[in-house]
Amino acid sequence: MSELFPRKQVMGFVFSLVLTAVALAVYFFDLSFAIAMTILLVTAFVQAAVQLVVFMHAGETGDKGSIYTNLFYAFAIALVTVFGTLLILIWDM
Amino acid sequence: MKIDHSLPLEYSTDQNKLNILGFWIFLGAEIMLFATLFATYFTLVDRMGSGPAGADIFEITPVLIETLVLLTSSFTIGLGVHAMRLGRKNAMLTFFAITLLLGLTFLGVEIYEFTHYVHIGAGLQTSAFTAILLTTLGTHGAHVTLGLFWGLFIILQVKKRGLTPENANKSFIFSLYWHFLDVVWIFIFSFVYLKGMM
Amino acid sequence: MNFFDRFAIPHPSPAIYASMVAIGLTVIAIIVGLTYFKKWGYLWREWLTTVDHKRIGIMYLISALLMLFRGGVDALMMRAQTAVPENALLDAQHYNEVFTTHGVVMIIFMAMPFIYALMNFVVPLQIGARDVAFPRLNALSFWLFFMGAMLFNISFVIGGSPDAGWTSYFPLAGNDFSQSVGTNYYMLSIQIAGIGTLISGINFITTILKMRAPGMTLMKMPMFTWTAFITNAIVVFAFPVLTIALLLGTMDRLFGTNFFTTTNGGMDMLWANLFWVWGHPEVYILILPAFGIYSEVISTFSRRNLYGYKSMVASIVIISFFSFLVWTHHFFTMGQGPLTNSIFSITTMAIAIPTGIKIFNWLLTMWKGKIKFTVPMLYAVGFIPIFTIGGVTGVMLGMASADYQYHNTMFLVAHFHYTIIPGVVFAMLAGLTYWWPKMFGFMLNERIGKWAFWFIAISFNVTFFPMFFTGLDGQARRMYTYSEATGFGPLNLISFVGAVGLAIGFALIVYNVYYSTRYASRNISSDPWDARSLEWATHSPVPSYNFAVTPKVNSIEAFWDAKKKNIPLFQGKIDKIHMPNNTGVPFIMSCIFFVWGFSFVFSLWIPAIITTIGIFVCMAHRSFEKDDGYYISVKDVEDTEKKLRGVS
Repeated sequence: MSELFPRKQVMGFVFSLVLTAVALAVYFFDLSFAIAMTILLVTAFVQAAVQLVVFMHAGETGDKGSIYTNLFYAFAIALVTVFGTLLILIWDM
Repeated sequence: MKIDHSLPLEYSTDQNKLNILGFWIFLGAEIMLFATLFATYFTLVDRMGSGPAGADIFEITPVLIETLVLLTSSFTIGLGVHAMRLGRKNAMLTFFAITLLLGLTFLGVEIYEFTHYVHIGAGLQTSAFTAILLTTLGTHGAHVTLGLFWGLFIILQVKKRGLTPENANKSFIFSLYWHFLDVVWIFIFSFVYLKGMM
Repeated sequence: MNFFDRFAIPHPSPAIYASMVAIGLTVIAIIVGLTYFKKWGYLWREWLTTVDHKRIGIMYLISALLMLFRGGVDALMMRAQTAVPENALLDAQHYNEVFTTHGVVMIIFMAMPFIYALMNFVVPLQIGARDVAFPRLNALSFWLFFMGAMLFNISFVIGGSPDAGWTSYFPLAGNDFSQSVGTNYYMLSIQIAGIGTLISGINFITTILKMRAPGMTLMKMPMFTWTAFITNAIVVFAFPVLTIALLLGTMDRLFGTNFFTTTNGGMDMLWANLFWVWGHPEVYILILPAFGIYSEVISTFSRRNLYGYKSMVASIVIISFFSFLVWTHHFFTMGQGPLTNSIFSITTMAIAIPTGIKIFNWLLTMWKGKIKFTVPMLYAVGFIPIFTIGGVTGVMLGMASADYQYHNTMFLVAHFHYTIIPGVVFAMLAGLTYWWPKMFGFMLNERIGKWAFWFIAISFNVTFFPMFFTGLDGQARRMYTYSEATGFGPLNLISFVGAVGLAIGFALIVYNVYYSTRYASRNISSDPWDARSLEWATHSPVPSYNFAVTPKVNSIEAFWDAKKKNIPLFQGKIDKIHMPNNTGVPFIMSCIFFVWGFSFVFSLWIPAIITTIGIFVCMAHRSFEKDDGYYISVKDVEDTEKKLRGVS
């Protein structure tokens, strides 16, 4: 039975629950905008990384170079798109 | 077809390896898809016209239920893939079924959430903010719905044909899809709901 | 009759009625012809259900050439209308429809399929593979593109053409200002074709990463394959942005949402922003394969290795990343602050640097080479100076404060035609001529080809160079006419003369195809240009399995080394070859997509729901399907090889 519940997956799940609980702090406590956004950014990206590496086995095969490059590019361009859009349409209007 | 028995079943043929890499590339495209929705969301989030803002309509309870249900389903499908690698077909099918049931629960809560929003005056046509909110949540929800059907088809195929290299490959790829939907939800949870309720 | 009113053209004209008749007659002629010659079975077996990358490439090519004709006729109409002041050939509404159609057709339905035609045919051969990674998805990509093109092309005879420009800015493209279904056609046809392109992006990246011949490391790939690889990487990250933009635009028009409206919190500038986040990478998607073709052609016809391979690779990688950092230069004048404009000015000017590196590398490849001025080489050599004019005027436009003078004048129109035509179109014509013998087993006539080149190259400059001056003088873009007092008349007339010359040039290309098909010798070598890369190591015509034995590669120019230094390419025995089966599902699913798109264009909700279900049924069918392909036996391979070796 215990072979069906590998340590890595269980620890990953527990860690994700902890990260979710930490993120909830911004709802339950009155924090400054900067601190709240930092907490959200850190917990979100760390939890995403846990999913990608621990659960999705991104680094498991010989293709891991291609997979990580693909993910890095995607996130980099995603951030450029999000922050570029905000700069153009909201912050520097 | 040459099977490499030193690798997990889902990687054991050349076509299997191509399918998995191709799906990772597809996930890169999906990251950009949701990034565009997020960029639009952050641009329109404070543009409520005469309608309500996020803080007026978001409730923590359904959001928490959705989050915990989806996160747990990501855990159970991970267990399913692990069972598959051990060759434990029945355990795998059980975990996959639990995953889909949790996914169905997620959808149920989300549908309740949507009908509630419409009821209190935050419909698709109310304002730019409600439009992008419902479209972002709706795109994610549509992906989950597609996943439920896809997962069901895979369960049926594994039941009928047993654990073959093709089925293992499909199951693994489906798990990548399901995990990815949880990754997207993490960002929705943090930057749509929690940020909106700060 | 009220139900049918919605399909009527809002703004008919004799030309449109004539086109309706012509389209109807053509469709009937095709159906009658296929029936009379009993070719339905052949069509279905060999083309509609094929998953062979070579066949798919040819179908893309035929589609691109047909669309080139349509886009070209649009161009001629525009130049004719503006040839003299206050002309009455096209009224304002028609002129809007024509320039909208011209832009969408040329970029989305001519250039993109032309590029994919060549990438499809050539890339698997260049890397020594038997097909792409996902042959059935490849077929789906083509048919989705085709149905998207068909949907767009019937707009002008059913319901009305889109008329808000190829960029379809809101609020003009919204329901208040564009009441006909034209913009719905725009949103849905590009959406359908775009899904096909995104699928191809995934397909080609996987193919190039995983299916190269043994020994072909990434840094030993031919340059066209490198550019194909990077281009498809850009596609994967850029097209989803367009998918969402089109979705939101469709929702505004069909479901009353407020993404881009001017009320209830909508933001019209958001459309422009999202469109260009896709739109700028799109122009690099167009130009990078062209650069790859030039690298192949210049190297072959200078009889030299490409100079600076590593810097060529580095430059296209840098260009691909930077292409996502410049998009705001398309709307410098639209209200954002100076910080934004400055940042994007700098990134825009920076992206010219890697392109410049490539130009110097091509020149250095030709330096001390043994140059042969074949038709492909003429296009490549013509490209360098003419494209440079386009490039430097781009840097002028990239200076945000100066752009307030140039933006949306004919100066801008001249700039982008000076990059797209010598960049993309010349490359497509060069690539077509270069790879034609590999595709069809005979050469295009050199003499006619050279006449066509000179007509096109000279007429191009006659058409577009005057626009730099009229633009600086103040002639705006997308204006259907101007008064005599502006003084724009003479230069516009010169442009029209040039356009006629371009038409003659393209007619010569059509004539070349006909003439060569009829008279050219079929008894040619499988390597008629004495070229350098692996696709020339196959027979002409290429057998379905491409290579009987997978080649082993150990240099950048393994085929050249095999020829000149006797290093063997094909070692090992012939084994049975696994091939994928043909399938009708991509074609059928795409037909359903066509009806799906049409239903949304006209808000026909029942067919929309039924076809949506139909699409998912096709996907479900694929999930449950068990299709393991078939094997070509060793004997069949050996027989085919003997036969082809006898001919070539």
